Amino acid sequence: MTPDLATQQLRKVPFFQFLDFTITELAETHAAAMMPFAERLIGNPIMEYYHGGIIASFMEAVAAISVSHGPDLRLPKPINLTVDYLRPAVKGPLITEATVKRRGKRMASVRAVCWQDDGSRPVADGLYHFLMV
Amino acid sequence: MNLKMEKVAIDGVLVRMPFNPSFCGDEDKTLLHGGVLTALLDSVFGLANFVAIDGISSMATLDLRVDYLRPAKSRADVMVRAECIRQTRHIAFNSGRIWFDEPDQAEVARGAASFALTRGEVSIFEAMTQSRSSK
Repeated sequence: MTPDLATQQLRKVPFFQFLDFTITELAETHAAAMMPFAERLIGNPIMEYYHGGIIASFMEAVAAISVSHGPDLRLPKPINLTVDYLRPAVKGPLITEATVKRRGKRMASVRAVCWQDDGSRPVADGLYHFLMV
Repeated sequence: MNLKMEKVAIDGVLVRMPFNPSFCGDEDKTLLHGGVLTALLDSVFGLANFVAIDGISSMATLDLRVDYLRPAKSRADVMVRAECIRQTRHIAFNSGRIWFDEPDQAEVARGAASFALTRGEVSIFEAMTQSRSSK
């Protein structure tokens, strides 16, 4: 599965269309994606910071893809998530990288990190648990 | 998200989100994507804080935890109840739950979060609601 093909597949999911992100890397236990800035993603209109919930959703999407990608789109079911917000996400694209920590028969744990210009200065860091389907 | 406030009080807020097919995770558009529930909780926690705490100008989410209790499969409106369970000068702690506005009202998700508060005269909440009502 190439990143382009995965992006095309994900466009079928209405909510992913809304977020409008692109998969940039895809490997066995790893995925990365880029989401361009848009006014509708803002949570704080004065400072023009991203909405915290949108960041968590974007990270969840990339985490789900990292754990399950194949010719037919079968995304795992989310069980829970925890996100730490480390700094405000300002006007500009967001990048998320997700790495599968453990993938068993029924459950998977994925770590997702989100940043803007500098990978060593993440805006958020999260842990996601999925039920495999 | 087209949120509608149903009850607004210091001990918590109740908010309705009309069903929106573009927030779904499936092609049939009957199953809300989990990420929407997360974003919804984050927003309504913020709202509960603005109602419960005097003199905050802005806030930032520090952390957010969500448990998805069951698949969000319904075309009913989504109801969110959120409260500020404790506040200090700089931090607010929140808890909330989500269900569908339908007869069995089974809980779909629960969440908890903490926020860093910025205090000051100008409130972004007021700025947001003013810009919205003037549109």
